[in-house]
Amino acid sequence: MKLYLYGIIDSSDQITESIYGLESAGVYSIPFCDIGAVVSEISQPIRDATEGAVSEHEAVVEKLMVNFTVLPVRFRTIIDSRDGLLSMMQAHYKDFKDNLGRLHNKLEFGIKVIWPSDKIKGRMINTYKKSSEKLSVSNDSSNKRFMRDKFEKYKLDEEFEKKANKFINVMDIFFSKFAAEKKLGKLKSENLLLDAVYLVEKDNQDNFKEAFEHIKSAHKGFKFLFSGPWPVYNFVILPKKSGLLINSGQEDLFDKVIQHRDFVGANKT
Amino acid sequence: MTLNSVVETDFPEEFIEEMEKSNDVLPKKIDANPENVEKGLAKLVLTLIELIRKLLEKQAMRRVEAGSLSEEEIERVGETLMKLENKMDELKGIFGLKDEELNLNLGPLGDLM
Repeated sequence: MKLYLYGIIDSSDQITESIYGLESAGVYSIPFCDIGAVVSEISQPIRDATEGAVSEHEAVVEKLMVNFTVLPVRFRTIIDSRDGLLSMMQAHYKDFKDNLGRLHNKLEFGIKVIWPSDKIKGRMINTYKKSSEKLSVSNDSSNKRFMRDKFEKYKLDEEFEKKANKFINVMDIFFSKFAAEKKLGKLKSENLLLDAVYLVEKDNQDNFKEAFEHIKSAHKGFKFLFSGPWPVYNFVILPKKSGLLINSGQEDLFDKVIQHRDFVGANKT
Repeated sequence: MTLNSVVETDFPEEFIEEMEKSNDVLPKKIDANPENVEKGLAKLVLTLIELIRKLLEKQAMRRVEAGSLSEEEIERVGETLMKLENKMDELKGIFGLKDEELNLNLGPLGDLM
């Protein structure tokens, strides 16, 4: 029987609460020194990331977080045997301990912001047309026209990015006040101004939410999405040559499940 | 007791759309099977050519901005860049590729373009 891995916890104690995971199997911990790997037995590989399966994985991690610091593991992480799991734990014990220490008592929050890019671009085009930054060339060959159009696009793109960075910096100053770490995704699409995750101390989560409400009310015309608290999927740091890939047969043991997570397994309000 | 996680937004559809848009341009692997191996390879090669073309274009714009190109040079650079762009459009047409398909996810480094 293979083992489905949910996460690494900062305790070698057995889980006292009854938790059921994928295939309704009982969840238990396999201790290694003073930490543990939380698993359940699984009879077959999970081929599809269905909403139900992702939610079950997430629910187990969230339940564990009530009593432990958890390094959440990527959805669909399956280890061949107990021995394989123990040798993986042995090889990466120090990395796990470092992460557990760093992430103790912390939660992850997601912030996404859509900005009115069309309006902002429209205003920029008007300003550019009146400016002296245009490329001026004497005769009007098709090659020069091409260069003029390209230069206009170059200047507008540059201005667009500057404007985006300005907004992001203002927002980030507020959020960072209450965050220990962050990862900012800027302009993933023209409209998606910010796609960020913040690592926040449990005691600071109300302050962080307040900062979000403040930013939201100060930016009329922008659209906001707040999500969390989540397990710290995006903040587990492992050395590149961790070798977990070889042992587990996974691409990246601690890869995020964010695309499922933001719209699945949470109470939309 | 769990974390009581929430997703709060007044615009769920728009966020889903934007997230899908930003995920769609990031092919996780090259799609090369016997039926479309040509297209898979063409996509990779054209992505790299497109990257170089864009770098050249950007460098040219920086030189225009700095005022270091004469009118004759602007004319020549314009002709070269235009021909390059037209050739790329032609190749994209042959292999049925769209602009947004010519991108690669470089993991932590972000998108190629």
